[in-house]
Parts: sequence; C-alpha cells; structure tokens
Amino acid sequence: MDNIKKLPDSVNKKGGIMLILGVIILLVAFVFEPQRAFFDYLWIYMFLVSIGVGSLALVGLEYLVGATWSTPFRRITEILASITPVLIILVIPLFFGLHDLFHWTHHEVVESDKILQSKSPYLNVEFFSIRTAFCLLLWLVFFFFMTRNSQKQDLDGDVTYTKRNITLSTVFTPFFVITITVTAVDWMMSLEPHWFSTIYGVYYFAGTVVASFAATTIAAVLLKQGGYLDPRIKNDSFYSLGTMMFGFNVFWAYIGFSQYLLIWYADLPEETFWLIHRWEGSWKFVSIALLFVHFIIPFLVLVGRRAKTNIGLLKIMAPWMLFAHALDLYWLIFPTYFKEGAGFSWPELSFPLIVIGLTMILFKVLSDKKNLIPVKDPKLQAGLEFHL
Amino acid sequence: MSLDATFTREIPLLEGKSSFKEIDDVIAKPVESKPTIKWWIAIGISSTALLIGAVCLGLTFWYGIGLWGNNQPVGWAFDIINFVFWIGIGHAGTLISAILFLFRQKWRTGIARFAEAMTIFAVMTAGLFPAIHTGRPWLDGYLLPYPNQHNLWVNFTSPLLWDVFAVSTYFTVSFVFWYVGLIPDLATLRDRTTSGIKKFVYTIFSLGWRGSNRHWQHYERVYLILAGLSTPLVLSVHTIVSFDFAVSVIPGWHTTIFPPYFVAGAIFSGFGMVSTVLIIVRKVFDMEHIITVNTLEKMNKILLATGTMVGYAYGMEFFIAWYSGNPVEQFAFINRAFGPYAWAYWIMISCNVLFPQLFWFKKIRRNIPITFVIVILVNVGMWFERFVIIVTSLHRDYLPTSWAMYYPTMYDIGILLGSFGLFFTLIILFARTLPVVSMAELKAVTENAQPKIHHNGSE
Amino acid sequence: MFGRILNKIDEEFLKSEPRKGELFAVSALFDTPDQIITSAEKVSGSGYRRFDVLTPYPMHGLDNAMRLRETKIGWVGLLAGMSGTTLAFLMIWWMVGIDYKNVIGGKPFFNIAPSIPIMFELTVLLSALTLVAFLIAVFNKLPSNANPLMATEFMKHVTSDKFGIYIEAKDPKFNQNEIKSLFSSLGASEVYDINEVSYDEGKTKNPILDFKFVGNLIGVGIVTAILSYFTLNYLLFLPPFNWMHHQAKVLPQSESKFFNDGFSMRKPVEGTVARGFIPYEFKGMHDSLVVETPNPLPVTKEILEKGKKNFDIYCSPCHGYYGKGDSRLRGQFPVPPTLHSEKVRSWKDANIYHVITNGQNVMPSYEKQISRDDRWAIIHYLRVLQRSQNAPDSDFEGK
Repeated sequence: MDNIKKLPDSVNKKGGIMLILGVIILLVAFVFEPQRAFFDYLWIYMFLVSIGVGSLALVGLEYLVGATWSTPFRRITEILASITPVLIILVIPLFFGLHDLFHWTHHEVVESDKILQSKSPYLNVEFFSIRTAFCLLLWLVFFFFMTRNSQKQDLDGDVTYTKRNITLSTVFTPFFVITITVTAVDWMMSLEPHWFSTIYGVYYFAGTVVASFAATTIAAVLLKQGGYLDPRIKNDSFYSLGTMMFGFNVFWAYIGFSQYLLIWYADLPEETFWLIHRWEGSWKFVSIALLFVHFIIPFLVLVGRRAKTNIGLLKIMAPWMLFAHALDLYWLIFPTYFKEGAGFSWPELSFPLIVIGLTMILFKVLSDKKNLIPVKDPKLQAGLEFHL
Repeated sequence: MSLDATFTREIPLLEGKSSFKEIDDVIAKPVESKPTIKWWIAIGISSTALLIGAVCLGLTFWYGIGLWGNNQPVGWAFDIINFVFWIGIGHAGTLISAILFLFRQKWRTGIARFAEAMTIFAVMTAGLFPAIHTGRPWLDGYLLPYPNQHNLWVNFTSPLLWDVFAVSTYFTVSFVFWYVGLIPDLATLRDRTTSGIKKFVYTIFSLGWRGSNRHWQHYERVYLILAGLSTPLVLSVHTIVSFDFAVSVIPGWHTTIFPPYFVAGAIFSGFGMVSTVLIIVRKVFDMEHIITVNTLEKMNKILLATGTMVGYAYGMEFFIAWYSGNPVEQFAFINRAFGPYAWAYWIMISCNVLFPQLFWFKKIRRNIPITFVIVILVNVGMWFERFVIIVTSLHRDYLPTSWAMYYPTMYDIGILLGSFGLFFTLIILFARTLPVVSMAELKAVTENAQPKIHHNGSE
Repeated sequence: MFGRILNKIDEEFLKSEPRKGELFAVSALFDTPDQIITSAEKVSGSGYRRFDVLTPYPMHGLDNAMRLRETKIGWVGLLAGMSGTTLAFLMIWWMVGIDYKNVIGGKPFFNIAPSIPIMFELTVLLSALTLVAFLIAVFNKLPSNANPLMATEFMKHVTSDKFGIYIEAKDPKFNQNEIKSLFSSLGASEVYDINEVSYDEGKTKNPILDFKFVGNLIGVGIVTAILSYFTLNYLLFLPPFNWMHHQAKVLPQSESKFFNDGFSMRKPVEGTVARGFIPYEFKGMHDSLVVETPNPLPVTKEILEKGKKNFDIYCSPCHGYYGKGDSRLRGQFPVPPTLHSEKVRSWKDANIYHVITNGQNVMPSYEKQISRDDRWAIIHYLRVLQRSQNAPDSDFEGK
C-alpha cells in the first residue's frame, strides 16, 4: 500500500487561497449588506451540514445494512464527514445573525402576531440554541467514535471494531433522522415562521443523501484519476455510487413532487404563500431550473446502465448534483431575503469558494494522516471483488 | 448468524447442503403430492371465512350499501380501511422481489416467490373494496376512460381515479413480474412430472422454456428492468392511496408527509403479513431449511426500521399540528389521542411503534413464537392505523352539530372476515399448485453455483 | 378430449425408442459450472456459431464465454415507457382539456401536476407489458414447444441439475465425431445425439381434426352463445340489477304516495318570502294610490341590455319587439295598444312598474316571472324604445 502517492501540497495551497478569498468576500459583503452576508453564510452552513452530516450518515448506513460495495470508498466518505466537527466552529457566527435571519427573533413582531406567539415555546432563541448545540454535539460524538473505530482497524484489522460500529450506527441512524429534521425545521423552515410542512425534514434528508453521494463520487473519481486510490478499485465499483445517487435523486423528486402537489391541490392560503414566494419575479425561473437541474436532466443522463460505470460521465454528473443541491438550498433559503426575485452577485461567490476550499484542505490534511481506503476492513475484499 | 461470516460472504441460504436435485424435490413436493390433513383443515377454515364474506356481500348487493355502518359524517369507513390495509400488504411482496433484488440481497430468494404471490392476492382482495363500495359494481366500467354513449370522460383531477390506474397497473405489472419469474420453474416442473394433464398445463404455461443462455441473457435484463420499474411503481401506488386523503382539506388528512408515511406503513404492514404467513407455511410444508430463521430475522429488522419510520411520521404529524398554530388541526390530533376513539389510537401506537421496538434485541428477533405474536400485533396495529386516520378525522366534522360516532354493522365485519378468507384461500391454493420458492433463483445462490473462473473477465 | 391429444403427444415425445428424424444436434451434459463455462469458451472459440448453452439458472460470465453481444432489450422498455408517458399526457389533455371541460374544485381544466400520477402509471404499464411481450415473442422466440430438444433425457437434466451444451447439425463446421470427442475431452458426463421429431403423415392423423373434438368445439360454442344471450337479455335485468329503473322519487304530474294531500311539493310557510322577490306593497291597488318611487337602477349599458333581454322574452310576444303593439300571437290574444302613446310616454316609471307587477285589463301580473331588478331594467329599456320612435329634433342637431 505504500506505493500509493499522497496528495501534493499544492492542494492545500489552492484550497487555502479559495477559502481565504471566500472569507474576504463574505466579510466585505458583511460591511455593505450584513443581512445578505448572513443569508449567504447560512447557505454555506446548510450545504456543509448536508455533505458533512450526510456523509456521516452514509458511513453509518454502510455498517447498518452490511453493504460491501461501498467499503473501498468509505474512507473518502469519512473524510467528508469530518466537516462535522468543523461545523461547531462554523455555526458560531450564525448566532450573531439570528436577528437578521429569523423574523421570529423580533420581540415586537411576535407580540403582534398570534400565530408566532403560539409557536414561541419552540421558536425562541434559548431553546433554538439548545437544539442546535444538541444536534452538533450528537453528530460530533458519533463522528468521533465511528471514525476512530474505523481508523484503529487499519492497524490491526480487528473485527470487533466493525461490530462496535454496527452498534453505533444502529443507534445513530434514528438520531440522524431526528436531528436532520430538527436542523431543517429550525434553520430553514423557520425562515418563514408561519409556514409548515410535515415532509420538510424528509425533503432535506433526501437532498443531503444525494449531495453526500455526489460528494463521495466526485472525490473518488478525482482521486482515482489522479492515481491516489488503490488500483484494485475498478470502474464497476462506481456503478453502485452512480446508482445510489440516481436512486436517491428520484426519491428527492418524489418527495418534492408530493409536497408541491398536496399544497397545490388543497390550495390553503396558509401553505400556498410559500410556493407563491418561489414563483415571484425571477424566482419562477429558479423554480423551473431546479426541476430540470435537480431532476429531469440527471434522470435522463443517469438512467442507463452504462452511464453509471462511465467515470468520465460521473465526473460531470457528481459536481452537477452538488450544484443542484446548492440550487435547492438557495431556493429554500433565499426567497426570504430576495422577495422580489432571485438575486446573484459577488457576495454569493463566497459559497463555492468557501465550500470547495474547505473540502480541499480537509482532504489534504486528513489524507496525509490516513489511508484513503480502509486497508484492513474485513469487508474490503468483498467490496473490491464486486463486479457487475 | 455469526457476525464474522456476514462481513466476508453471504450467509448460506440453505441450511444443510442441498444438491440441485434435492432443491427441486423439496420445492416440488407440495405440488406433486396429495394434500395432507393439515392442508384440508387450513383450506376449510379459510374457505368458511370466504363464504361468510360472500354471503354478506351478496346481501349488500341485494339491499344496497345501506347495510353498512357508514353514515354522515363518517361516509368512508370499513370499505376504504380494508382497501388501504390490503393494498399495503401487497407492497411487501414487490419490495422483496424488486427492491431487495436491486440491492442484491440474496436472502430474499427463499421468500420472494411467496411474497410476490401474496402481493397479487392482496391486490386482488384490495381491489374488491373500491369495486363493491360503489353499490352497483356491475357499473364499475365507468371508472375507465372509454368512449361511452354519454360522451363523458372520467375526472382526471380526482385521486380516486389515479387509484384506478395505479391499482390496475400495480396488479398487472406484479402479475407479469411473477409470471416471468415462474417460467423457468414451470419448465422444470414440466420435465419432472409424469402426469399427462399436468404436463399439458405446464407445457403451455412454460412456453417451451429450455434454459438457453441466449434466452437467459435477455431474461435477466428484463427481470432487472422490471424490478427497476416495480420499485417506483410500488412507491407510487401507496403514494396515490395517500393522495386520496391528503389532497383534501380535512384536518388529520391534509398533511404533506402522507405519501412517504403511507409507503413506509404499507411496507411495514406487508412485512408483518409476509412473516405471519411464512411462519405458518414453513411449518405446514416442512420448509424450515429454506425459509430460515436468518431470513425471518432480516425481516424483523426491516419491520423494526419501517415501524420506526412510521413512528417518526406520527411524531412529525403531531409536532407540526401543534407548530402550525391552526386550532382546527390541533383539535384533530388531540381528539385522536384523547377523544372517543383514543383506544384505537393507542392500539395503533403500541402495535406499530412500541412492540416492534422489541426487535432491537437479537434474542427476540430470532425467537419464532415471539416474532409470530409481534407480527400479528403489527397486522392489527396497521389495520387500526387506517381506522384511526379515516374514522377519527371524519367523525368530528367542522360543524359540531354533525358530530357522530361510527359503528360497524355485522355486514362490515363479515366482509372484512371474508377478505381474509379470500386472501388465505388463494394463498393455500397457490402453495399447492405452484412452486412457492423460485427453484432457479435458489439454485443460483447456493454455494458453488457460480463459476469461479471468469473468461474474458468483466473488464 | 385432452386425453386423446395428450396420448398423441406422448406417443411421439415420451416413447423410449430413438426418434426417426434427422440429426438435429449433438449435445453434452456437464456437472459443474466451471466445466460448462470452459466448454462454452472452447466451443465459441472454435468458431461454432449455431450452438447454445442450457442451464437451470442464469450463470455469471456465460455471456462473455459464449461471446454474446449485450442485449438491446432495454431500449424496447425505454421506448415503450416514453410512448406511455406521451399517450397518457395526450389522453388527459384532450379528454379534460379539450373534449369535456368541467370545473372541478375551481382547478384549471388541464394541469400538469395532477396528471403526473397517471402519466407515471401508464409509463410503467406500457413499458413492463411491452418488455415482457418482446422478451417472450421477439427476443426469445417463444413459445416453441416444437423444439426437438423437448422431452429428451438431455432436457430433463438441464432444467434441473446439470448444465448442457449442444451444437446444431446446421452449423457450417458441424462434424458429429469431432464434436463428440471435443465434448468428451472437456469432461462431459453424458453425450447425446438429438434427432428431429418426425410425424409419420400416413399413420398419425392430426387430432385437431378429430370429429369428436370438432363436435365438442361446436357444442361449447353453442352453449356459450345461449348463455351469453340469456345473461345479456334476462340475467342482467333481475334484481338487484335494476339499472336505476326504479328510483325513490316522484315523477312530474303524478300523485305523491307519501303525503296525504297527494302533492309531492310542500307549500312554503305563510309569509315566506322567496329570495329576490320582495313583496310589492301596492299589490292590487288602484293606480292613484301608488306612491311614485324613482327607478332605482342607473342607466348603464349592462342594465339596458338586461332590460332588452327581458323585454324580448316577456313583453315582446304581445307588445312587439319595438313596443308598437304588433303582437306575434296573430290574434289568439287581444292585441295591446302601442307603448309609444302620449299616455304611456308621460307615465312615471313607477306607473309602468305598477302595471308590470300588477297587470292591467287582460295583461296578467308578471311579478312571479320577472324579478324586481329586471322589471326596472325593462322600464329603462322601454324608455329607450320610446325615445327611439319619438326622437325630438334636438337629438339630431348634434350631428
């Protein structure tokens, strides 16, 4: 395994430049339009939650269902999941912007609004902070133990680590579903505090899984093409990554359609206004674009069997799906800020710079310390032997 | 199951080494031998239930559906409860045969054929209820968009019409999927049998299948695509069933989580029923080494997962009802939990969410009698879930003057009993006429069934 | 009947002596998957084309070993699915958007969102059915029970526990002995010659033409026809199939058996006022007692059009379209005087309203037929008619 090369130092440099540039843009934006800067930052934060916590869930799912095909890629997913501890630092600036982001933090508004008053036992800054802290800590704990077990196994290949992780992931999965729902409701749904939808948590969950699969895929493809991965990983192994991305994307579309159809059909004013905001001015085009970018085009491209083993195609489609998820989050978050129509300008450029820069640095730093595949995992051989 | 074994290879499906010939012998035995006393008792019970249902149904046709307990404001009751219940049962079959196939779960092989047959019978039983609830089932042809003498077209905006399309598509596709899977086995039976009439029938239905690899090649691809088509189909069917309720503006019905929640519930109830039937069948037909405890344990895990998903949906509904700040919505849910039908609600919660939590313990997952009790409770709980959703949401109307209680009549209960009779009669007949486990698939996953050498590799 | 056909089949298929037909193929049975995959590789590698491998279950790697091209059947499913989507879309769009427009819940006649469920279902339905039909009939060319392999000892093994391979005699490279030795060298457990089934035309009469069989077929046909006739003409009209002929309602002009007085409709309670029919307070009074109220309606285009419509319906049969008293009833009813007389023109609106409401001479009351507002609108329109027939010169000076 020693002959596999390590990522070059330039990755760190490039990532660092992007990250710093992104942060500068965000700070400049904060000087000129503080509220907008906070919305941008929320967008970045939610996206990182998606791929970070989503990847953690994928690691858990692999243990839970006993999948073998994903074992060669698991370390990549684990590195992506190590965004989770970073989130604890990243969330702090957001708390200074609660007043800019959330309508329900304004006392004078709540006092004159009966509906918000009835929600205040849930939507108040104290309880909100406790919930966020709880979610972040829970993710951290599971992240810490699950990756540590996986790490240690690289040394001695002891099966008990796998057993422990199975137990951990069994406990983690229900918690993941609950925490991701709470996060979605708190940080995004409560941007429009009057609006409610029971499927919202599932909708965000579906998006996170697609994004995490896409992130794993693009990382795996780039590492494979750069020759940093074990050469025993063949193209057939990518088939399942493509299939899962495709499958969960269909699931996302199904959830999105269910939510839209039910609100459209019942036509109740307390629900429809949320969709109407997303049909205002140029938001109309964003909504239509979301349908095509997130569902129709990837569906048609990935539906064939050959498409999913075609690494060149996956190299395009995986970033495409990440872009689609970013668009989805943009569509969920920004109509509260841009009420007249969608807006995109230099402050929003901080999003790709920070996300990509941060991920690159994480990969460089962690891949120096870890093997890029779990070398002594008992399931690894079965995963490498996978063929269609 | 030893944990270590699962990491590196699949658990052997058959307990004890069986040669291909032995597999054929074991699976074909119920088809080729005379029925036992156990079988006659089973069919006697189920056909009695069927007969009771038939009499109640006959009386309903004669006098009209006024015999049922439905009345304002509970205009929908047992008919649609039973419909949703049975449709839900059907979902497990497709899940096992299609979704688990796509996920390459080999343990499904022992139970897939049976589960598919259950799907078909459950959908048939379910289809009965929309057909009879019209009161004049001989006029049900109007449900289809055909150019009729009145120049009328059906209402494409109505989710009830979507149901017509969804259920008939589901039945057709499940049936075709099942038949495609049967063809190789029918060929095996054709070449085994010595009876002239059986040979004639098998010859016709096996279509001259020879097991040619030039045929298998297309066959396998079609099977894969059919599995791929069935997977969204099975989701769509219960989604559309949930639309029947969720597109309305009735509190307790109109909530956006209904589609995935109904699908999870359907899979949950279906697995409950599959387990119930399998536990009986493996005893009656001596198939303990094909339908193994390992298989049942895996099914229990799925029951636990889907039961918890359903629990998530219950919780989410309650939370959002409170969070919405809508007093009507809040009342509907408080009334569910503490109103006159609270007993039904708590049966639902305990059977669907609480009892399956026992499956966290491995000892219980692998204990057949306890599993049997829990899966029966799951069936009960899922029936009550539909009862709770439908009856409690309707019996408290927007106008308190029209509030009323719903009581089923003996005809309602008789028809419900008859639906179980129909389902089980068909199952028992199926178990004696066709191979209940796919011989071809089972052979393909036994040890040493696949070559160790790969010519031309897959590169 | 079945027995006879079966006996004929069995005679040919199940008899133990060797068949008399020409050689169809040379076949061999193998015991292990590795053997068969090696043999398939060898046979396809040696240039044989008309050969096949028969296995009781699908085996990995055989397609490559036999050098088969990848199946194209997926495209059939895709095309059929896409036509299903399109057909469903066109069907819904035409039926509810064009041919039978109905307002349902205030929704648009045709909308894409509620059409998606059915579009999806038909996609799956068409795709699945076409795939299976193509699989059976086009790609695998089934049913083919006449294949010479049927009912051979070879066949009995390959559908159960062994793996078979055969090379057809029609293969250009076919050489019986060479192939036999090839199979033996590959480790075949059995090697068989398979002959075509030969029907001796003179001896075996086709059982389909058997008199008894044809007679039975005709008998079944007659019974089916009679049963269908009775079902469609008698059975379907027995109770409970009443086809809505008997309904719990009262037909017009028939006596009610439910109410003692025989009327099916009830009279409203004394003093009930129908909606839009406010009682006229000068009902039945002499003209002189009427307190004159001005016309409550403004003169607008809509009001005049409403007035014209109602005038044409209710007034014009007697008064004529222009109020000249030119009745269309052709003397069956007394002709009323013109409405353009000095007297009528000088009447106040309230007077005319009184006449319409109360009636005058032979003219009955129109209170029940024409609503209050419509009566006032008629009066506005009547004023227009009067002006048009008796226009003062000042009207033309503007020109």
